[in-house]
Amino acid sequence: MWRSHELKKRYDVVIIGGGAHGLACAYYLAEEHGITDVAILEKSYIGAGGSGRNTAIVRSNYLTPEGVRFYDESVKLYEQLSDDLNFNVMFSQRGHLTLAHTDGGVNTMRRRAEVNQIEGVDSRLIWPDEIKRLCPYLDVSDHPRYPILAALYHPPGGIIRHDAVVWGYAHQADVRGAHIHQNTEVTGIKVKKGKVTGVETTRGRIKTGTVLNATAGWASTITTMVDIKLPLTTIPLQACVTEPLKPFLDVVVVSGSLHVYISQTDRGELVMGASVDPFSSYSMAGSLTFLEGIAGHVLELFPALSNVRILRQWAGICEMPPDYSPIMGFTPVNGFLIDVGWGTYGFKASPIAGKTLAELIATDKTPDLIAPFRLSRFEENDLVGEKGAASVGH
Amino acid sequence: MRTEHDILITPNRLHPKGGEVIDRTTTIRFTFDGVEYTAHPGDTVASALTAAGVQVLSRSFKYHRPRGLLCCSGHCPNCLVQIGDEPNVRACTRPVEAGMEVRAQNVWPSLNRDLLSLTQLGSRFMPVGFYYKTFIRPQKLWPLYEHTLRHIAGLGEVHIDTPLGEFDKQYLHTDVVVAGGGPAGIGAALAAAEAGAQVLLFDENPTLGGHLRFTVPMDSSSPPEASKNLPELLEAVNHQPNITVFTDTSVLGWYQDHWLCAVKGTRLFKIRTKSVIVATGAYEVPLIFDNNDLPGVMLGSAVQRLVHLFGVLPGKQVVIVTANEDGWDVAADLQSLGVNVGAIVEERESNACSSPYRDGLINAGVPVFYRHIIVEALGSNAVRGAKITRIDEHGEISPKTTQSLHCDLIVTSMGWTPATELAYMAGGKSEYNEERAEIIPVSTPPGIYVVGRASGTHALDSQIAEAQQIGTAAAAFVGFGEVDGLTAHSPDISKPRRTSERVCVPGNKKRFVCYCEDVTDEDVQTAIAEGYDSIELLKRYSTISMGPCQGAMCSMNTIHLCAHANSSTIQETGTTTARPPTTPVTLGALAGQNMEPVQTTPIHQWHLDHGADMMVAGFWLRPNHYGDPASEAMGVRERAGLIDVSPLGKLQLTGPGVPELLERIYTNQWKNLPVGRVRYGVMCNDEGVVLNDGVCAHLNDETWYMTTTSTGATPIFEWLQWWLQSGWGEGIHLTDLTDAYSAFNLAGPQSRAVLEKLTDRNLTNKAFPYMRVRSAKVADVPCRLLRIGFTGELSYEVHCPSAYALHIWEALMDAGREFGIAPFGVEAQRILRLEKAHIIVGQDTDAMSDPLSANMAWAVKLDKPDFLGKPSLMRISTEGPKQLLVGFKMVDSDVVPDEGLQIVEPDADGRLTITGWVTSSRFSPTLAEAIGLCWLPPELASQDGAPFTIRIDGNLVEARVHHDAFYDPDGERLRM
Ligand SMILES: Cc1cc2nc3c(=O)[nH]c(=O)nc-3n(C[C@H](O)[C@H](O)[C@H](O)COP(=O)(O)OP(=O)(O)OC[C@H]3O[C@@H](n4cnc5c(N)ncnc54)[C@H](O)[C@@H]3O)c2cc1C
Ligand code: FES
Ligand code: FES
Repeated sequence: MWRSHELKKRYDVVIIGGGAHGLACAYYLAEEHGITDVAILEKSYIGAGGSGRNTAIVRSNYLTPEGVRFYDESVKLYEQLSDDLNFNVMFSQRGHLTLAHTDGGVNTMRRRAEVNQIEGVDSRLIWPDEIKRLCPYLDVSDHPRYPILAALYHPPGGIIRHDAVVWGYAHQADVRGAHIHQNTEVTGIKVKKGKVTGVETTRGRIKTGTVLNATAGWASTITTMVDIKLPLTTIPLQACVTEPLKPFLDVVVVSGSLHVYISQTDRGELVMGASVDPFSSYSMAGSLTFLEGIAGHVLELFPALSNVRILRQWAGICEMPPDYSPIMGFTPVNGFLIDVGWGTYGFKASPIAGKTLAELIATDKTPDLIAPFRLSRFEENDLVGEKGAASVGH
Repeated sequence: MRTEHDILITPNRLHPKGGEVIDRTTTIRFTFDGVEYTAHPGDTVASALTAAGVQVLSRSFKYHRPRGLLCCSGHCPNCLVQIGDEPNVRACTRPVEAGMEVRAQNVWPSLNRDLLSLTQLGSRFMPVGFYYKTFIRPQKLWPLYEHTLRHIAGLGEVHIDTPLGEFDKQYLHTDVVVAGGGPAGIGAALAAAEAGAQVLLFDENPTLGGHLRFTVPMDSSSPPEASKNLPELLEAVNHQPNITVFTDTSVLGWYQDHWLCAVKGTRLFKIRTKSVIVATGAYEVPLIFDNNDLPGVMLGSAVQRLVHLFGVLPGKQVVIVTANEDGWDVAADLQSLGVNVGAIVEERESNACSSPYRDGLINAGVPVFYRHIIVEALGSNAVRGAKITRIDEHGEISPKTTQSLHCDLIVTSMGWTPATELAYMAGGKSEYNEERAEIIPVSTPPGIYVVGRASGTHALDSQIAEAQQIGTAAAAFVGFGEVDGLTAHSPDISKPRRTSERVCVPGNKKRFVCYCEDVTDEDVQTAIAEGYDSIELLKRYSTISMGPCQGAMCSMNTIHLCAHANSSTIQETGTTTARPPTTPVTLGALAGQNMEPVQTTPIHQWHLDHGADMMVAGFWLRPNHYGDPASEAMGVRERAGLIDVSPLGKLQLTGPGVPELLERIYTNQWKNLPVGRVRYGVMCNDEGVVLNDGVCAHLNDETWYMTTTSTGATPIFEWLQWWLQSGWGEGIHLTDLTDAYSAFNLAGPQSRAVLEKLTDRNLTNKAFPYMRVRSAKVADVPCRLLRIGFTGELSYEVHCPSAYALHIWEALMDAGREFGIAPFGVEAQRILRLEKAHIIVGQDTDAMSDPLSANMAWAVKLDKPDFLGKPSLMRISTEGPKQLLVGFKMVDSDVVPDEGLQIVEPDADGRLTITGWVTSSRFSPTLAEAIGLCWLPPELASQDGAPFTIRIDGNLVEARVHHDAFYDPDGERLRM
């Protein structure tokens, strides 16, 4: 699928982070711009970070027009990705429901549905009878605590096999000449006169004029190497999975009020997650509080699941920007580019982030689609507020 | 078809003997796939079915191959069944109950004739990673393929009407937790308890004793302490008051700071301990050979469990495959029970075997094949024979020398892998020990200990000696006795090694490494050859070790295969991360009792009795309306109304530091607020985003009384606590009175007249003007009155002790009767406040809204020295807001746009650009117009009367900007 190489002394482009974003960028650099002298440096194995730990929800029913447009391009790329990569990434578009339990929640869902429709994304507000049809196991009764009043229904949303995306991109990047270096950690970045000249790794030095930081949860550890401070908070996000069950849940179900989302894979396991942990940390150990909380909340929605068993839990780390939108593109250091701030929601953006950053590297210009996500927006008071659509629903 | 007569037969049940856990005097009945079987209390579902001769219990995950008992200890997937509405139950550990309905899972149409097993015929075309490489084109057909795949996926079923069971939780506190109640665990518990420590001893089995319950320890060199047999150990535990025993209880996980959790049926234990001793034993490792998953191929320890605990023998003619003394123990054990041991197939040379039973077995005529190994299990649905072969001088197996042995049970005893998940979760490190051929913990964090088989110590005498050391060390660690250097401990390797490094015997049929996921050794080779060569990638690609047993049966073998294929060492190959829970645990147990409270105000029942339509508002249930919100609103405008606002957050702050704190957390000025005054304030976070709003009253010199929005009550209390504890708390006490006080807002032109009937306090506008606070007796109850109001009318907010809430409420209603008072709900309040263009934080603002843009610049004092959000607000103030919150009126006054709709601007081609959105809207009964609040670009928002369009149901509908309040813009009515 991919080969091992000696570390060359010099590469045109060095991508730090062998997650879906870094690998996708390497693929699009080669495929669309003929740039193949590229190294992907991964401190562990490819997909060891968020890309191999996420709950693989893909959707584009965001809140801001900028966000909707951006994620929608990603969904479209995902729709043809199996074909492009000749690897089945099992994109399963079985629909995505975000539940509203209060009238305020209903208004937020309506707001998103409207924005989505105007931007051409299939998304609408539906009511309990239709919710029950799509998801018979949900308790839509007149439940005293968290009644289900309505839901935002997004038919193209769904889940994907996350590892397959990583491997598919890795393979095709490798075929096109990029070098994937696993077990290679970046320990420093050389900057001369405001311009990147190389990186230092645990396997030696590399000269390069272009470095892309695609390390998601570790992004700020890399930017500190070039003295750039990003408005990011590092917070663990946890998830868990049950034993396999006969499939009964087609759609992805998200409840913001209950801080929980759940889907069922093609293997029959239920994959569940919540909002981020209440404090920042780099730890990837799961907590009991998380398990207890999520179990209670899942049973609020699906009381029939009390005998279903949790098989394992895990955590990943996320770097959260204040507006829940990514930070992409140029930085004050010449040649040092970022693809960070992916928080709890970045997997779905892997194809479009890889593609637009490849274009940025190749043309030295910021593509329009990602201009709203530039680093300078924080100084310009021009945030892209997605908290309402990304805090639980990833 | 079995007849009534047949089902009562239990051909595999042995004669009674000591040590059994079943009660043979009673017989109960249960069904498996509709057929009735008998059992004795104490039987597990699997032991009873085995007694009746049932061999196939399940079908495998992918190929639907028949599977029977393998481990008999809850650590493999082979006996997963559905019991009633409970899916994926391990039949070998679940006690039978009379009338139980047990069903096979994942079978179609039936367990014994599963058509889906045909999938394995195509399995040559279904190698590992098959799905990744197929169904790619045409992409349009993938949903169809997927639909079919989902049809055959999964194991057990969830029934839609499964009742939510009863679950609970218990907290435990102790000095030492011992996980695992075998001889090592018991020994360690005793030692720690004798030193004075409080010990909790957990075991997942119904009784303590671990392997002593079903094995005869023969390799003991018998020093006096080791002669303690199980009854003596149990006796000692019973007499040790410092030990509390939990059986049937699995320790699920270790979390930060020795926080453990364990489960016993429907109860979850949450345990805070100072030290943990991991004595969880070892998993017996299966051998990989052709058809190694055939029902009738079992682990040695599984057979001994069945025989000794349940008096059940799963076969008549046994072939034992081994590479250590354990296999000989099993042989001798079975032989002594009169079982026909057909052969012992021993991997080692004869001179390497030191079993004390050897001569006896040979003399009894048991054939022994030294330097032999099994290559295939023969039979289709159950074992009918074993094909064995010689191992040549190079250690290779020679196909030429194969021979078949007749048998119906193949027992493998190839070795062990320590069960040390808990130690690894706690940060323990491991190393591959060549001598033992086991991965053994080599270091653990302070307070974590590993003992017994889990640490690689197999011999009973060594286990007990080690347990004594470890127990003493753990006690010393928590402060009982001396730390005496005895902690230094390495596995006892003086005894012969137990584990063979030969994990896989080549052949030409299917050889399963991972039973849960149906992964074969060839799959492993293929995956590695494709580049998934690190253990983590291999695991993810092949899904090996990700099944219901979480790798208990396959992890060690996988590491061996992976190391071999990469020509690297076991140590280099490494292990995968241990993650909780150690055994699957139900959502019900984790959730416990439903702890999601609905908060109701003290007069909840009154609302219900008066026809209130209740709605959820944050944690609270509140009256939405009492039938007709519009007339409730009109009632307030024209007469008087009463609303229960008890859910408002009510915080009391005392101390000299309060004004300074208020200056920092609110955006406006507080220092100069005189006693007796109330002021409105907005709180922001560092980004300048509005968090909450409310009023704060200066009660007396050092006492302040703050209200927050009802959903904000808890978060704002926590927010203040955060700042108080971060250095702003000097001289401040913060008390949450949200529940202690109730509050009612009496609003409307007649409200003064109503209240005057109940209090002596002078309520004239002069004595008690707008935005003031007074204490007063209302209906003889000391209350706090705030002259504030959201509705825009003259109003008094009456805050009273909650115990008097109903009394006050009823007194107000009675007093108001002559003035036409009526209760009003949240909906009427929303109408009234919208007519006044008052914003609701969280509805009219979102996670991006700052007070300058939200039309509250009057409540922001940028010239204050410092306050939360100031830097961001300064920037916004210089650059100018990007959007403004402003009122609007619909041109067509009958059309009320739903909240959340978008404001758009069409271009020449009809393409829409979003320029804003509607946050609030209502039909105003006072004005008979459709009004609302919305966000607009500043150019538009600043022109009173400017037209814009709202997209309603896809159509563009016109509205106009409206500055000022819609009703009483000068605020005369509330100052009356
Ligand atoms: C539990 C969980 C659930 C999630 N659910 C979803 C979801 O449902 N949908 C969604 O869209 N997103 C989700 N996410 C977020 C998503 O996982 C991430 O945003 C996304 O995977 C980021 O991809 P990436 O390629 O940028 O980074 P990663 O996949 O994290 O890759 C970064 C890589 O950089 C490597 N690295 C770090 N430091 C160095 C260094 N110094 N040198 C070399 N390499 C280094 C790391 O080892 C890592 O492999 C979830 C995240 C978690 C943790
Ligand atoms: S036989 Fe029951 S779990 Fe292994
Ligand atoms: S045998 Fe259970 S996970 Fe492999």
